[in-house]
Amino acid sequence: MNWNRRDFLKNTSAATLAAMAAGIPLTNLLSSCNSKSNHATADTVILLWMAGGMAHTDTFDPKKYTPFSKGMQANSVLSTFKSVPTILDGINFSEGLQSIGNVMDKGTLIRSYVAADMGHILHSRHQYHWHTCYKPPQSVSAPHLGSWIAKELGPLNPVIPAFIDIGQRFTLGEAEELKAFHTAGFLGNEFGPFLIPDPSAGLESVQPPVGMSSSRFEKRNKLYYDLISKSPMGEYGSDYQKESLKRSMEQAYILLKSPEAKAFDLSQEPKEIYDIYNTGKFGLGCLMARRLTEQGARFISVTTEYEPFKGWDTHDNGYTRLIDMKKQIDGPVAQLIKDLEKSGRLDRTLVILASEFSRDMMVEGRPDAKVQEQVEQPDIIQDIKNYGMHRHFTDGCSMLMFGGGIKKGSVYGKTADERPCKTIENPIVIDQIHQSIYHALGIAPDTNYLVEKRPFYTTPDGLGKPVMDLFS
Amino acid sequence: MLQHIAFWLWDFLGHLHPLAVHFPVALLLFAAILELFTLKNFNSKLRSGIDALLIAGSLGAIISAALGWLLYQDGDYSGDVLTLHQWIGFATAALGVLTLFFLYQIRKKDKFKQVKVYRGLLFSTAIGVSVAGHFGANLTHGSDFLSSTLPWSKDYETKGSDNFRLVALKGDTAKLTKKQEVELNTEVRAILAHNCYKCHGSEKVKGDLRLDGKHVAFKGGENGPVIVPGNPQESEIFKRISLPADHKDVMPSKGKKLAEKDIEIVRFWIEKGAPWPDDGTKQNVFRVAKLEPRNPVLPAPSNNLSNPVDLWTNQYFAKNKIKWPSLVDDRTYLRRIYLDIIGLLPGPADLESFSKDARPDKRALWVKKLLSLDNDYALHWLSFWNDALRNDYSGTGYITGGRFNITDWLFKSLKTNKPYDQFVKELISPSEESKGFIEGIKWRGVVNASQRTEMQAAQNVSQVFLGLNLKCASCHNSFISDLKLDDAYAFANIFADTTLEINRCDKPTGKYVDARMLWKELGTIDNKAPVKEKRKQLAENLIKPEDGRLYRTIVNRIWSQLMGRGLVEPVDVMDNEPWSQDLLDWMAFNFVASKADLKELIYQITTSNTYQLPSVGFKEVAQVSNPNYKFKGMVRKRMSAEQFTDAVSSVITPVFVDSNIKYNPQIRPSFIRASLVANNSFLTALGRPNRETVATSRDSQANLLQALELTNGWRFNSVLKIGAEHWKANYKNTDLLIKDIYLKTLGREPVEKEIKIAKQALGKSPGVDAIQDLFWAMVLLPEFQIIY
Repeated sequence: MNWNRRDFLKNTSAATLAAMAAGIPLTNLLSSCNSKSNHATADTVILLWMAGGMAHTDTFDPKKYTPFSKGMQANSVLSTFKSVPTILDGINFSEGLQSIGNVMDKGTLIRSYVAADMGHILHSRHQYHWHTCYKPPQSVSAPHLGSWIAKELGPLNPVIPAFIDIGQRFTLGEAEELKAFHTAGFLGNEFGPFLIPDPSAGLESVQPPVGMSSSRFEKRNKLYYDLISKSPMGEYGSDYQKESLKRSMEQAYILLKSPEAKAFDLSQEPKEIYDIYNTGKFGLGCLMARRLTEQGARFISVTTEYEPFKGWDTHDNGYTRLIDMKKQIDGPVAQLIKDLEKSGRLDRTLVILASEFSRDMMVEGRPDAKVQEQVEQPDIIQDIKNYGMHRHFTDGCSMLMFGGGIKKGSVYGKTADERPCKTIENPIVIDQIHQSIYHALGIAPDTNYLVEKRPFYTTPDGLGKPVMDLFS
Repeated sequence: MLQHIAFWLWDFLGHLHPLAVHFPVALLLFAAILELFTLKNFNSKLRSGIDALLIAGSLGAIISAALGWLLYQDGDYSGDVLTLHQWIGFATAALGVLTLFFLYQIRKKDKFKQVKVYRGLLFSTAIGVSVAGHFGANLTHGSDFLSSTLPWSKDYETKGSDNFRLVALKGDTAKLTKKQEVELNTEVRAILAHNCYKCHGSEKVKGDLRLDGKHVAFKGGENGPVIVPGNPQESEIFKRISLPADHKDVMPSKGKKLAEKDIEIVRFWIEKGAPWPDDGTKQNVFRVAKLEPRNPVLPAPSNNLSNPVDLWTNQYFAKNKIKWPSLVDDRTYLRRIYLDIIGLLPGPADLESFSKDARPDKRALWVKKLLSLDNDYALHWLSFWNDALRNDYSGTGYITGGRFNITDWLFKSLKTNKPYDQFVKELISPSEESKGFIEGIKWRGVVNASQRTEMQAAQNVSQVFLGLNLKCASCHNSFISDLKLDDAYAFANIFADTTLEINRCDKPTGKYVDARMLWKELGTIDNKAPVKEKRKQLAENLIKPEDGRLYRTIVNRIWSQLMGRGLVEPVDVMDNEPWSQDLLDWMAFNFVASKADLKELIYQITTSNTYQLPSVGFKEVAQVSNPNYKFKGMVRKRMSAEQFTDAVSSVITPVFVDSNIKYNPQIRPSFIRASLVANNSFLTALGRPNRETVATSRDSQANLLQALELTNGWRFNSVLKIGAEHWKANYKNTDLLIKDIYLKTLGREPVEKEIKIAKQALGKSPGVDAIQDLFWAMVLLPEFQIIY
C-alpha cells in the first residue's frame, strides 16, 4: 500500500467533515458562524509552565533585596536575590535571569496577573483554573486550553498532534487532580493532549514500538489492511465506528513513519545548541518545543513539572532552591526565543511563560482575603531554610509573552513596592489571558458548544475580553 | 347530490397535481438538455425525440396547471410562495405552448430563421418549469426541506425537531381558533425562550425589555412597545430579527440570526394580532414527559410473536412500514449476549456447544445461563454503574478526604441483583458503604455555589435517576426547561444540614426556599427534619411506583446499553420523545410489576426478536441521535475499553497482573477484569472516562491518540509479545494456530483468502514476532472491536 501525504490530507478532511456533521457536541447555534477570523497573528502557541507557584518578587518583579542574616525580621524580606538590569531601560529582573532579561526587547512582561481567590489553597485547583479557565469542580468536564485550540484550529501539520504536553508525569502527588484538567473534557478524547512525560525519551512515543524494525512495522501494517480487505465483515458496509477506527490507525501509522517525527529526536540537534538547552527536563522540553514548531505544531505545553513540594513549590529553602530553578529556565527560555526569532517563526508563534500563582514570605492567599496558612514562617529567621517565599500568594504574579503579535519591549501592569506586593495597576485575570491567546489565534471570543443543551464557552459565559494593550 | 360529487371529484383531481407535475418537469427539462446536443445540427437524430418530449411535456404542463388551480380552490394553501408558484406555473404552461408553435413553424413550414426564438423559448420553459417546481416543493415539503440536510446549513441540526406546521395554520385565512392561538403562541414563546430570554428575561433585562411573560413583553422596553399586534412591520421585535446578520441592530445581537422559519412564525403571530391566551401560558414551552406510569394494553399476539417487546415493535414496524428482517444467526447472537450480559467473548467451545444445542428455546436458555453467572455479570455492569455514579478507585477529592469509594457496595449489589428501587434507596439514603454517590466530590477550598456537594447531589440524582438536567437551574432559571432556580435549591436542600441561601450565578440573594420534591405529586419533605431523615423521605418518594420517571429512565438506560441507542435519546433527557412511547411505558410498568428486577429486564430484552434483528450501522454518528431516527434493529456498538481489554486478556494473555487489582471481589477469575483496576493511559485512550463527572455514554469513535496507544503503546505491545511467546510454545502447526486465533477472536474460521494472508505473514515455522504481529492485526480489526 502506498501512503502519501495527499491521501492523508484527504482522510483528515473527511474526518473533519465527519466530525462537523457528527456535531457531538453540537456546535452551538449561538456561536459565531466561523470561529477562525482573518486577523490571527499567531499559528502556534508554546506555553512554558512554571509549575508550583513562582514567586514574582524573586523572579521577574524584584523588590528591595535583603540578604540573609541570622536573626533577621521575616517581614522585612521582599526579595531574596539582587536585582539585575534587563535590556529594557529601568526594568530589572531577579539575579539569575539575565539571559531572559536580554531578550525582553522581543516580548512583553506582565506584572499584574491576579489569580482567583478559591479559599484554602490547592495547587492543582489553581492549575486547573489556569489551564481551563474554569474553577473545579465543574458539572461538565472542562477542556484544557490546548484542547480548545486543537478543536478550533486542528493540527497545523496533520502529521503532528495538535496538542502536545511535555514534561509532566502523572504518577506523582496530586496526579489525579492534574489528570482532571489534562483532558479535552466534553470536546472528546480526540482533542486531548499527546503526552511526552520525558522529552529525552520523547522519540519513543512517535516511533514503531521499541524493538520493532521499520520493515517489520510496515509489514504489520500491511497485514492489518490485507486482513481488513479480505474480511467477510466487509458486507456490512461502512459505518462511523469502522471508518473512524481505520482512519485513526492510518493517522497513527503515518505519524510514526513520517520524517516530521524526527522533531522528537533531540539527538539530531547540534551539540552546542543541545548543551544550551540541556539544563534538565524542562530545558530539553523547550528544545523539543522549538523543533516541533519547525514541523508545524499547534499547541505545545512544556512544564517544569508539578510535584508537591518540589520545583517552584517552595515550602522551604526558597532562596537556595530558586538558584537551581532559575538555572533550569534562564538559558533554555532565552535560547528558545532567539532561535524562533532567527528562523523567523517568532512572528507567528506565541510564547507564554506563566505560573498558577505567586509566593510571598508572609501572606497566604491575598491581602484582603487571607486563607488558611500552610507554611510555618518564624518572625525571626535563624535558619536559611526559612529564607524564601514560602507562602502561596494570589494577588500579583508575573508572566512573559513573546511573539505572535505581542508588543516588543513592553511592560504591562505593576505591583506595589512594599508588602503586600500586590497588583496596583492593570490587573489581568485568567479569562483575559485566554481570550488574548484566542484573539492572537483568531478564535472568536464567543466560541462555545452546547453540552447537555447548555452553551459552554471558552471562558465562563463567553465574557472574557482580550487585553488589546498586549498587542502591537 | 351532483354538486357534492363534483366537489369530491375536483378535490381529488386537485390532489393529483403534486403527482402530475413531475411529468412536465422531467419531460421539458430532458427536451432542453437534448436540445443542447443539437446546437450544431438542428436536424440531428435526436430531433424527433425532442419533438415528442416537447409535445408531451407541454401537454403535461397545461394539465398540471389546471389541476394546480383545482388544488388552490381546495384552500389548503396560500401565501407569497403560492402566488409565485401559481403564476410561474401558468406562465410555463403558456411558454410551452408557444414553444410548440414555433417548433411547428420550423418543422412544417421550414422557417429556419426562427430556430433561435424557438430555442430561447424552450430554455425559458425549462427554467420556468424548474422554478415553479422548486416553489411547489417548498409548499409541500417546507422551504428548508432540501437545504436542511446540508451539514453547513444552519437548520441542519434542528431539522425535524419541531412538529409545528405553520402552513397548516396559514391555510385558515380566517380567525384562528383558540387551540390554534395557544399552539402558535407556544411556538413563539419557545422561539423567544431559546433566543431572547438570555438577555431579555428574569436574569438580564437589556434595554429594559423582558420577553418572558405576557405583560412584560407587551409593555416593551426603554423605547416603548416592541410588539404592535396586527402589524409586523411596525413591531420593533420583527424589524430587529429580520435585519441582515451583520447589521449592528440585528437581534439576537449575540450569536446567530434566527432561522427564516422562526422569523416567519413571529411575523405571522404578530400579523394575527399577537395572541397570548392566558390559559396558554400554562402550556409548557418545553416538552415535558408525563410523570405517572402508564400500562398500555398489549397488542394482540401476531406473526408468531409472543414477547411483549416484539408486539410493540411489530406495531411500530407496521405503522412505519418496516418489514421484519430475519433474525441473526447463532454465532452473532451468542457473541452479542456474551458481550452485553457478562462483557466477555464466547470461547470456541461455547460457540460449538451453542450451535449443537438442539433445544428450540436455546437462546433464552443461554441468556438465563449467562445472567446466572453472578460474578461475571457484576464485573461487567460495574463499569456502567461506575461511570454513572462517578465511582472510581482514583480521582480528584480522595487526596483531601473529600470523596468516598462505593465499589464494595456496588459490586455486591450487582452480584445479588438488588432490586432497583432498593438500589436507588441505598444510594440516596446511604449507609457508610454507599454514601460516595450522594456525598459527591469535595475539593479543598471554596467552591462555586452551584458546585457545593449538596447541589452536586441534587444534580446527580436528577441526571442519573430521573434523566433530568438540573445543572442550569442550579445557577439561574433554566433556559432549556421550565425548571427554576428555586426548584434546584428546594431539591438541594434535601441534602443540606441547614437551608442553603439561594445564589444566583454565584451571587447570594438573601433568599431561602424550603426543601421539596421536583414533582409535588411524589410527596413531601419535612423541611425541619435532619438531613438523614430528609434523604430517607426523598428515597421513599422517588421509588414509589407512581414515579414513572424513575423507572422509565432506568429501562431506557438498559435498553440503550443493549440496543446501542435509547428509546429516548439522549438518555439523560427523559423529557424528549421516545420512538415508541408505548414500548417504553409498558416496559417501565412491567419492570415495577416484576419487582424492579434488572436481570429480568435484560432477559426480556435480549430474548426478544427485536434484539435479535440484524444490527444497523450509520454513516455518521449524528444520525443515531437524530430526532427522526427510525428503529430498525440494534445500533452497532463498539467494545468499551473494558470489553476490549478483557477480550484481549481472554484470547491472548492477561493484560493485568495481581498487583493492578484495586478491588478484590474475593473470586478467582481466570484473569483480572479491567473493571477491577485503576484507570491508566491505555484504558483512558480506549475511552474509559475520568469519573469526575457523571458519564452515561461513551464515545464509540476511534481517534488518533487511541490509535497511537494501540500502535506503539508499551503496555499493549508487551501483552501481545508475552501472548505470542505462550502461543508459540503451544502451537507447532501454523494452520492450527491460524484457525484458533480466528475462532478465539472472531468466533469463526478463517476464509481461504484470510488463511493465505495469515500464512504468508507467519511463514512456515512462525516466530514470536510474527505471531505478535498477527495478534495485533486481529484485535484491531473492526470485526473484532464492533458488536454487530
